[in-house]
Amino acid sequence: MSPWLRLLLYLVAAPIIGGLLAGFDRRLSARMQARQGPPLLQPFYDVIKLWQKENIVVRRSQNFYILFFLLLVIFTGALFFAGSDLLLVIFALTLAAIFFVLGAYKASSPYSFLGAERELLQMMAYEPMVLLTAIGMYMVTKSFHVHEIASHPSLLIFALPGLFLGFLYTLEIKFRKSPFDLSCSHHAHQELVRGITTEFSGRALAMIEIAHWYENVFLLGWVYLFFGSMPALGVAVSLAVFLFVILADNVFARLKWQAVLKSAWLVAVILGFGNIVVLSLFR
Amino acid sequence: MILGSFAAGVGLLCLRPEHLRKLFVALATAAVCCGAMALLRLPAPLGAFTHDYHWVNLGMMFGEAAMAGYIVYISIRSRKPLILALILAQAGLILWFELAHGPQLRGVRNLYLDKFSVILALINGVVGGGICVYALGYMREYHEAAHRDVADRRPLFFALLFVFLGAMFGIIFANNLLWLFFFWEVTTLCSFLLIGYTGTAEARENALKALAMNLAGGLAFAIAIVWLYQKSGTVELQILLASKSGAALVPAALLCFAGMTKAAQLPFSGWLLGAMVAPTPVSALLHSSTMVKAGVYLVLRLSPVLTWTSVGMLVALVGATTFLVASLAAITASDAKKVLAYSTIGNLGLIVLCGGIGTDASVWAGVLLIIFHAVAKCLLFLCVGIVEHKSHSRDIETMSGLILRMPQLAVMMLIGMAGMFLAPFGMLISKWAVLKAVVDAFPALSIFVVFGSAATLFFWVKWMGKLLEVVKPREQLPEKLAWGETVALYGLSGATFLACLLFPLISSSLIEPYVAGVYGHSTSLGQGNVIIMTIMMVMVMLFPLSFINYGRGVKVMDAYLGGANAQSSVRFTGSGNTVCDVTLRNYYLQDFFNEKLIAKWGRIAGTALLAAMLTTAVLSSREPAVQQARNAATAPLPSPQPTATKLISL
Amino acid sequence: MIGFRQSPWILHYDASSCNGCDIEVLACLTPLYDVERFGVINTGNPKHADIFLVTGAVNEQSKAVIRNIYHQLPEPKVVVAVGICAGSGGIFRECYNICGGVDSVIPVDVYVPGCAARPEAIIDGVVKALAVLEEKQKAMVAMANSIDKTLILRADKSDAPEILALQKVAYQSEAEIYGDDSLPALQQTLEELEEDFTHMPYRTNTLAVSRENSDPPEVNLNRIVFLKAVVNGKIIGSIRGYTVDGTAYISRLIVHPYFRGRGIGRRLLQEIEKAFPHAKRFEAYTGHKSKRNLEQLSRLGYQTFKTEVFNPIITWVYLQKSRNGEHPGTNGKPQPVVAALGSPANQ
Repeated sequence: MSPWLRLLLYLVAAPIIGGLLAGFDRRLSARMQARQGPPLLQPFYDVIKLWQKENIVVRRSQNFYILFFLLLVIFTGALFFAGSDLLLVIFALTLAAIFFVLGAYKASSPYSFLGAERELLQMMAYEPMVLLTAIGMYMVTKSFHVHEIASHPSLLIFALPGLFLGFLYTLEIKFRKSPFDLSCSHHAHQELVRGITTEFSGRALAMIEIAHWYENVFLLGWVYLFFGSMPALGVAVSLAVFLFVILADNVFARLKWQAVLKSAWLVAVILGFGNIVVLSLFR
Repeated sequence: MILGSFAAGVGLLCLRPEHLRKLFVALATAAVCCGAMALLRLPAPLGAFTHDYHWVNLGMMFGEAAMAGYIVYISIRSRKPLILALILAQAGLILWFELAHGPQLRGVRNLYLDKFSVILALINGVVGGGICVYALGYMREYHEAAHRDVADRRPLFFALLFVFLGAMFGIIFANNLLWLFFFWEVTTLCSFLLIGYTGTAEARENALKALAMNLAGGLAFAIAIVWLYQKSGTVELQILLASKSGAALVPAALLCFAGMTKAAQLPFSGWLLGAMVAPTPVSALLHSSTMVKAGVYLVLRLSPVLTWTSVGMLVALVGATTFLVASLAAITASDAKKVLAYSTIGNLGLIVLCGGIGTDASVWAGVLLIIFHAVAKCLLFLCVGIVEHKSHSRDIETMSGLILRMPQLAVMMLIGMAGMFLAPFGMLISKWAVLKAVVDAFPALSIFVVFGSAATLFFWVKWMGKLLEVVKPREQLPEKLAWGETVALYGLSGATFLACLLFPLISSSLIEPYVAGVYGHSTSLGQGNVIIMTIMMVMVMLFPLSFINYGRGVKVMDAYLGGANAQSSVRFTGSGNTVCDVTLRNYYLQDFFNEKLIAKWGRIAGTALLAAMLTTAVLSSREPAVQQARNAATAPLPSPQPTATKLISL
Repeated sequence: MIGFRQSPWILHYDASSCNGCDIEVLACLTPLYDVERFGVINTGNPKHADIFLVTGAVNEQSKAVIRNIYHQLPEPKVVVAVGICAGSGGIFRECYNICGGVDSVIPVDVYVPGCAARPEAIIDGVVKALAVLEEKQKAMVAMANSIDKTLILRADKSDAPEILALQKVAYQSEAEIYGDDSLPALQQTLEELEEDFTHMPYRTNTLAVSRENSDPPEVNLNRIVFLKAVVNGKIIGSIRGYTVDGTAYISRLIVHPYFRGRGIGRRLLQEIEKAFPHAKRFEAYTGHKSKRNLEQLSRLGYQTFKTEVFNPIITWVYLQKSRNGEHPGTNGKPQPVVAALGSPANQ
């Protein structure tokens, strides 16, 4: 499949898939709590409603950051699905996340400020593992390019079990799910009111939601990379991972940021770095 | 160039009137910049200046003796036996060497110019010159407004700045290690004098600490020279670099030691942190952009000798550890200059890491790091200096809302910070290259880079957010900048942008030829990736454009303060119906990352690694087997990006 | 049009409730009633919410909070008063600390009676509120499309809350220009605003003088004019003025930020000039950095004649204009013709 086609498909289909996944998430969580849950298309209704609301801001420039957050997340996912350099993709995602954080800082309210600080802590927590995953994939496939990793003949999971587990751990952080939903949470875990998204309303909030959908699809695509040589298995595992993420979300309560940082780094060192050391010994 | 700068320095010593000095500095800076740029035209590598500069050697010997004498005097006066011991050992060694072997050192190629030198000369000239121009306005305000109690020794100050520039040129261009040593010591002396400029007890203490550590490095340098001559009969750097024998490792290790003291690597980081008491131009010039670059320049130059050796690996470990420790410590600092100092130490650690690994990819990454770091860090230091003057505080917490109070400066600081860690700016490119180089060579080192870069993300974005948040409608601080400051700041911001935009050009015309010349082949970033980077750059630059539609169609409302807003977004009704202000304070994680503990373990690790490095060097110098290992390892590796020629390869 | 009916987000606030109604509200979220199947999310944040669910009667401390939160809800928004205490004060109505139900502070759209209100009733109330929400949405869209049908009418005391809210919103931009929230316009309370309808203090020249002069001469009711600009029933602009001795003093020209730049301010100024047919001179004032106001006034023929320092940040600039286009003190020299004082319809 041509990279341009993949890119186009991502641009068009990712929000739809992401929204459906989000709806599925809410429904499944509700069922786990013995409730009915909203319709599957609920996230779309939410976004459409938000789009029609008034735009209230605290500082006039705060919504521009969100716009660029969205654009850069789309750009990141597009880069990923078009098959380019994985490190570059990670850095682009970091750039996008930084715009989000700066927007929350700009909003200058105590809750958004704390949410921004915690988002930064989250980023600091998952960044090592994510980079180590990319490095691990490079060591096995000799390439940082996504399309080459995806077309690698053997299943990466066999060479990178530690990295996979560590990556799962960090995925929980990146999906903003308990126990790592420090900065903002979809559920009524109102510890910081709405955390990093507190001062955003209307279109900005809709854009944040859409950006999260794009990001989630991209992350699941990365899980697929571990099983690139067997596409059906890859897709199945991605969905299974998503289910696992939802399950963990419903089972655990939120951790304190110290615990998040420590545990994530510990996992990165033991599982991630351990995997890499083993790989380099066998090279 | 060297002589010119020295002359300028001496001249400045005599100039008292302010306006004359301004003119002189401006002219001198312009001359230096033009000279540096003219070097671009020269065909490189330009070898020899094999003239028989015996009288220069003599002059240097006397100069060294004079400096040594002065330092002896200082050390006796300040009662620092360590310094006394170091200077006596060092000066004694070198003077004995020169007297004993001086006549045999004729016909030596004293100066050497290649692309790498050109790059550093450009940095020294343009960035260094910019700082000198900035210092005009800054020092005037320093003495007239901010620090009236400090004695006005500005002629000495500017003289030292230019003497220092001259010495840097000397270091960059020297091939004769004795000449290098002389200029090295000049920079040590300049640094000592400049750190102690304010004359306070704290300044003197820190200056002496810097002197001690740099002298230790100088001693190692001296030993290296002597050893090299005993083993191979030469004092030329290029010959050392071309040597393939294991015996070259010892002088290389010692020279790396010297470089690392100058670049404030663990365990010598203390002096750089202490040097922040000096006025900002000093911090910018000596301690971020140029003098410490001399240290890493030496390490990078030596990288061909260090490739695939355990000594190199240990050097790389020192750099990596420094990067990690400094980045973690920077999170806990709220003094702006301290953060910048830690960040500098960390980035220098990265460059040392590149030098230690010594593959073509890592050297390419290292040179890129030098360029981008020099420009961005200098910009940040200069901005912080002005902010300190206007708001009388260096604490990051007081910079809240700077984007409204001093918009020009805040934007430039944001550019500088973005240049330090953000894609698609320069440092990110360099870090990317470092990561790739590390993974190809010693994957185990990647853990340091990975954790360190996560830490750098945290403290830079924290600071950026502090500048952007607006919690108090405050009065605007007068933002009048002196013309010198304006020129320097705008020039540096422009340079940051240009360097990022033009980096493919810089890479292909300057860096790659150098690396290819040394290693036989070179890496680059791949055309596809360059295109992607450009797209990202364009997107980021579009961001300011979004302000065109500023404030249309939005309703401005208060922040959510639990409904307790008292008529505005930044005040709320607290208990007892009092109206309180909102204050936001960043996380400094001081309980989580205990700075003292980290520093202590860092120093222990650094000392252990350096000791290991030196021992390994001595041990490996006895094995000829090193040669075979190196030959085997320097066979061309499969390039990791064979198909990265198009944006999206099929 | 899908949107609000499918995704109503709620903000739940307890004014001074005994928590009985609150627990019933929370019970709606439990599996037995499960309002999330309708897409209802209990956000804790006004900026994310559409429906403001208030329980409990309103006491002094709650008043300011309710108003703050209400203003922070983005349009379109509805208010649902849950329980009889929120509706009318309930059994605590006569208490010394209770001001009444929620409608004593903000306009309420749906009342859900009960003590405590049952979850079924609450859900029913929310569903009714959704219908109101959709209507408001339609009205908002219609207003955006019909801005040229603005009417300028006389305002009366019942408009005071809406005008105060508008004043707060409109003066935000002024506060930002000066970096100061202590503008008198932003500090004015509802009571003071209501007083403006009947008594407007004779504007003294300095604040210090007005403090000394504790009984400002009051102005005859007939001489005060308070105008509002209305579109589709919603006030989007206002201006007020009074005459003393042949001079009309105009102040507090406000236009909602969304509707600026469309000539509403100009129409308000012209209407108020028409409203004082016997005044020979008009005086207005604004801050020295408010370029837009200064330009607008000068385009209508006003000229600066005095400045006065109000505080270190703001200096008031006083402008004046005489009815027939002449400026007092210019020795009868012909002045450029000001904008016609005729009908505003052709603007």
